[in-house]
Amino acid sequence: MTIKKSQIAYISSLSKLKMEDIEIDNFTHQISDILEMIQQLEKVNTDDIEPMAHPLSMKQRLRVDLVTEENQREFYQENAVEFEEGFYKVPKVIE
Amino acid sequence: MERYTLKDLVAMLHSRSISSHEILEMYMQRISDHDTSLNCYITLNKDAAFEKSIKADRLIESGDQLPLSGIPYAGKDIFCTQGIKTTCGSKMLENFIPPYDATVISNLDNQGAILIGKTNMDEFAMGSSNETSYFGPSYNPWDLARSPGGSSGGSAVAVAAGLAPIALGTDTGGSIRQPAAFTGITGLKPSYGRCSRFGMVAFASSLDQAGILALTAEDTAILLEFMAGFDPLDSTSVEKDVPRYSELLNSSIRGKTVGIPKEFFDEGLDADSEKVFFEAIKVYESLGVHFKDISLPHLNLSVPVYYVVAPAECSSNLARYDGIRFGYRHHKTGDLDDFYLTNRQIGFGAEVKRRIITGTYVLSTGYYDAYYLKAQKVRQLISQDFKQAFQDIDAVMGPTTQTPAFKIGEKIDDPVTMYMNDIYTIAANLAGLPAISHPCGLVQGLPFGLQIIAPHFAETELLKLTHLFQQETDWHQKQPPNLNKV
Repeated sequence: MTIKKSQIAYISSLSKLKMEDIEIDNFTHQISDILEMIQQLEKVNTDDIEPMAHPLSMKQRLRVDLVTEENQREFYQENAVEFEEGFYKVPKVIE
Repeated sequence: MERYTLKDLVAMLHSRSISSHEILEMYMQRISDHDTSLNCYITLNKDAAFEKSIKADRLIESGDQLPLSGIPYAGKDIFCTQGIKTTCGSKMLENFIPPYDATVISNLDNQGAILIGKTNMDEFAMGSSNETSYFGPSYNPWDLARSPGGSSGGSAVAVAAGLAPIALGTDTGGSIRQPAAFTGITGLKPSYGRCSRFGMVAFASSLDQAGILALTAEDTAILLEFMAGFDPLDSTSVEKDVPRYSELLNSSIRGKTVGIPKEFFDEGLDADSEKVFFEAIKVYESLGVHFKDISLPHLNLSVPVYYVVAPAECSSNLARYDGIRFGYRHHKTGDLDDFYLTNRQIGFGAEVKRRIITGTYVLSTGYYDAYYLKAQKVRQLISQDFKQAFQDIDAVMGPTTQTPAFKIGEKIDDPVTMYMNDIYTIAANLAGLPAISHPCGLVQGLPFGLQIIAPHFAETELLKLTHLFQQETDWHQKQPPNLNKV
């Protein structure tokens, strides 16, 4: 295995994904296979190669800092399951 | 059942031999007759579409029509559509109704085109078979036991089966070209930056690009003219004039030089498929195209590079789904942490979770350099291979896939085998290049696709080559044989 079960469990908690034990088992096997396939890259000589993050070399375009959109809070909140008096509701955070 | 091209429909509308309302009725009837078996639509936009068709008919009557007035099209369910559910094939967005339109949707809307429905897709566009959709797979009209490919499977099926004249898709690693190849239609992934990504649910932002699935190169050219263009709302959209593609289609391709990379034939290509591909090359030779054997030495590393870069970007993009402002929210959870964990556990399917975890892993401390940075460097090498090759050639050709459409259920349990499906298509995304797939023959009675890749913003070359091929051959007119029984 390229990756351990405990690592998958840890990564899933970092990714905020609750997983059953059987799912963690499956993922350990499958992600090991994926990482093994990825390890082909180790053999490639990449000395002095600039990493490519993006297909186009372009400058970040900035716009003038003016208000262009009106706030449409209520309209946007229509997609939330729970909200009250203009606020999104979540489970209690502070005791 | 006759399939109509966009061009046919425009001519029929202009000669008043049919009204837009009648066109809509025809497609809605076909959908109601066949979509139970094909499952290519997730949501229909029936009422609004009929309303728009009445308006379009009035405009046509008065002679004030826009270029696409009254023309129906289907959109992959990844494009945000104001007031129309946009699920992205996921339980997470099952009830999401966007408050705005994607730019490509409003671009077509502004030209009078009518969105008839949102098509099925792999969840969050992660998949090559349409099997990861929360709404069940879409089925290949050529053989219902087979996959139409993915992730834009529903769009491909809709066009191939005549349930839409043309459709929008997205392509992150082959998601337009592979389904186009599997269903016998034409699929174009434009250059990165050519079409706005605003309002397109993000998967891997440095790879995603909106494109077209159509019956012909000519239809693709017409739609691209209206769909493409600079958008201030997408910081990666490119400020470059959009050519009148449809007017450039008939210029000669005689004397063009095309490279065939030997790496496409290293292993895995089905023998019958290889034969069909080279038959098509003979057609191009008869049209005056010169061929040259070339090498793109890093091409076969596209899959490993992609499965670092795409999951890494996906893990970051999908962090937004917390179930608070939109998306799936479980009715009963514990504390805030449990709330996030549960919403994401139930809202996402297995493939999406697999990619989030792979992506989080390759970006984590201690592994970033070995995986992510390394992959970005090899991505550079792949891109340089193309740059080098394009100094002597106008385009690259190869098969779109290694085999024709595979059976549903055949590959879904083995992610790596499924990932290898995109071995020929991924490189164009990594380098940001435009690429097209067009039908070039039948293999065991199933359609097979030929892929052409061109330099940045050379969509015209792709469309010209495909158009002239389609003038000489009738592979693009071959229909699924048992369509009426589906």
